[in-house]
Amino acid sequence: MDSIFFYRNPDGAASGDGPLEGLNIAIQPNISKAGWPVDAGSRALARFTALEDATIIDRLSRSGAFICGSTKMSEFGFGLAGSLAGEAVKEKIAGAELMMDMTGECRLAAAAAGVCGFKPSYGLVSHFGLIGLIPSMEACGVLSPSIQNIRGILKAVAGPDEKDFSLPDEGIPDFTTKALDPLKTAIGVLAEAQSALTAQEQGRFRLSVSELQKAGFAVREVSFPEWPLFLTVHKIVGSVEASSAAGRYDSVRYGERAPGAKNWNEMYLASRGAAFGTLLKSFLFQGAFFQFQRYAAYEDACRIRARLVEDMKKRFGEVDFLVLPVSDGASDPNPATLDETCRQFAGTAFANVTGQPALVLPPASAGHAPLQLAGPRLCDAALLSLGEQLLMLRKGGK
Amino acid sequence: MEFEAVIGLEIHVELNCATKLFCDCPNNPGDDPNTNICPTCLWLPGAIPRFSAEALEKASLLCLGLGAELQPQSAFDQKVYYYPDLPKGYQLSQAHRPLARGGGIDITDEDGRPKRLRIHHIHMEEDVAKLVHEMEGRLPISLVDFNRAGSPLVEIVTEPDFRTPHHAMEFLKALRTQVRYVGSSECSMENGTMRVDANISVRPKGTSQMNTKVEVKNMNSVRHVGDAIAHEIGRQSQAVQTGEAVVLHTRLWDPDKKVTLPMRGKFEGPCVPDPMVPVIELTPEWIEKMRTRLPEMPAARAGRFVKQHGLTGEEAAFLSEDPEVAVYFEALVGRGIAPRTAMHWLATQLIPAVKERKLELAAQPVTPERFAALLKMLAGDEINANAAREVLTHLFESGESPEEIVKTRGFKQVSDTGALEAMIDQVLAAQASAVADFRAGQGKALGFLIGQVMQASGGKANPKIIRELLAKKLNAAS
Repeated sequence: MDSIFFYRNPDGAASGDGPLEGLNIAIQPNISKAGWPVDAGSRALARFTALEDATIIDRLSRSGAFICGSTKMSEFGFGLAGSLAGEAVKEKIAGAELMMDMTGECRLAAAAAGVCGFKPSYGLVSHFGLIGLIPSMEACGVLSPSIQNIRGILKAVAGPDEKDFSLPDEGIPDFTTKALDPLKTAIGVLAEAQSALTAQEQGRFRLSVSELQKAGFAVREVSFPEWPLFLTVHKIVGSVEASSAAGRYDSVRYGERAPGAKNWNEMYLASRGAAFGTLLKSFLFQGAFFQFQRYAAYEDACRIRARLVEDMKKRFGEVDFLVLPVSDGASDPNPATLDETCRQFAGTAFANVTGQPALVLPPASAGHAPLQLAGPRLCDAALLSLGEQLLMLRKGGK
Repeated sequence: MEFEAVIGLEIHVELNCATKLFCDCPNNPGDDPNTNICPTCLWLPGAIPRFSAEALEKASLLCLGLGAELQPQSAFDQKVYYYPDLPKGYQLSQAHRPLARGGGIDITDEDGRPKRLRIHHIHMEEDVAKLVHEMEGRLPISLVDFNRAGSPLVEIVTEPDFRTPHHAMEFLKALRTQVRYVGSSECSMENGTMRVDANISVRPKGTSQMNTKVEVKNMNSVRHVGDAIAHEIGRQSQAVQTGEAVVLHTRLWDPDKKVTLPMRGKFEGPCVPDPMVPVIELTPEWIEKMRTRLPEMPAARAGRFVKQHGLTGEEAAFLSEDPEVAVYFEALVGRGIAPRTAMHWLATQLIPAVKERKLELAAQPVTPERFAALLKMLAGDEINANAAREVLTHLFESGESPEEIVKTRGFKQVSDTGALEAMIDQVLAAQASAVADFRAGQGKALGFLIGQVMQASGGKANPKIIRELLAKKLNAAS
């Protein structure tokens, strides 16, 4: 069990009072809980202890949930190398796990663990107390076998926070379950999203999509010719943001300091060089390259991002939801390079670029692929309803 | 070859807000080191900047006061640099989308001609921590004080419209007056609430090329700015004449040696939009609301003083420079004091007396009400000017009203002609030679005789009546 956890809550499970009473939630050590070590999986944050509860932790505790511990994570939550997210849920130690989704990590971890993974809309959940890397793209996601748990957690944590002014003033969505009428609900299959799949993967994906048709939904093909640009934009804008955001890790007040430096500049360079792992360093170098050497490309990427957001909105004039393939990590469980890591997220990065919600469901049965559903921004509640309805049908409900 | 300078200024003004720009810590950088700090201004992991509404209002008033146009949208960027005074690795500054654009200040140039010096834009940014370099035994150490980290600043970037040190000095003086007027900052170069960098280049006079500029920092008074610019113009002109290349760099002004010395290569990192501070959107209604909060600005006020109170341009400018003085002046006029009398007594008596006592005009015992009562007694011939000056001294020390002071301490003017005639007769008898001088046509002897009578009255005689009576007696006897 301790092979999964980075830190266990030293207090016994307190019986909380509230709608989430009895729910054990695992977190990762980039989510602040006062007094807990939060190293974000990096030596750059070694020995750093959270001073305050993150807003989401505070709200979950008030709703009666018990935070049982934090699980081992990838460096700064980027990619899944070194991450054991999903294991605590799979092993039923926790009923749900919170995990940052900046490229699709939460959804991919869910697919690999065979549970549901949800990335909420950007701006729905407070960032306060989250040690992030790509502020404009990341959102705290939830892994759980139960969509009711995900819904309960979202209901508890979503909404404005006076500690986080970056949340747009858009009100709190209504998270009560609303049954969708399949006859009035159109689901689009993005043709371009399948082009990178192998023939076998395509077969499994089509099998999974047939589940939607069997449930009575109108499934139709939708085209998004610029689909490959989502990952390109993520690589450029995301890495520039990360390079800037990680500038604060200087080994002065926490983290590991490399010995032998003659002045502060050498100290920064040596300590940062020693602290960051190869994957993260490659990502930060890429960001610094675009910021300092190819600024025009960065500006182009920002413009393209705005266009992609608008184009995505238009798709939701044609259909209500999209269904997309998602890697379950089986083909490349341990990517070593930045390129390989990014390739894993080719099917998920779009939602981080646009800020829209996305939900991964485990495969319906053997031979099927995990299913990724996405909706327009702030339709989180409806997307969860869709997922819930499909899981009900799998159980033989109607 | 004759050269002319092309000068632009970058002026940082620290806003006098209660809190810092992105957190609720008190904005008191001078307190004991590291007492006004929190996870946000220490930029600990997980902290989020929360933009201060007060800073936005004070910055906006400053912009409107300088005639700049508030932009409907402005945003913060990350200005990346690595230095111990900035532990998060970037400064939040409005690099791409500033709060306001345009505006300017009208000054009078060396030849007395009006000159407009334009502002390019005004943006907000956060201040960084302060480094304190000390020796611990023989080991040099640097301490970081975060009290100043996150203090709200605005930066005013001018167009390169300046040609001489005089332009820069006049601009800064007027800027200081105007910013104090709107109440956004003390704007003192001496205590660091206004910091000025000058960008200077030279070119052959009459050409319009823009040559490589040099940035000069570390001037801590308006005078130093003038001196540093003058020195730098001379240094660059000489360099160009000897064929030396001027390279882009930063120089520090050394006020003791009166020279500029090279400091470091200028870092020009590109800024990326900050994803955490929301874009600031100002509605026309909000901007209008700010405009109504704007006080009457010095130039407009001086113009009104000339028209309304019949003052000279110079007098009106003097009264309008400091808003406290202007308000005090109008309070006196509002209590029925003649504008000229009010102006004269403020400038020559009250303001020097307040300064001497190291007090502030707005917070000292001689309120406009008490001072007006004193000036009314003077105008009504109840006391003379000598007595009024003495009563003023008492007003600083006593809580009594001017009327009470005059009454209890016997400052009342002697206008009783009987008593005065007796004194005059005595003086005329004692000063026969002066009387003779007067009769011989020496007019100034009259002044001497008035002085003698005044002295005999203990300074309380009404000088007008003395003059009348003396003249009558001297002429009658001749």
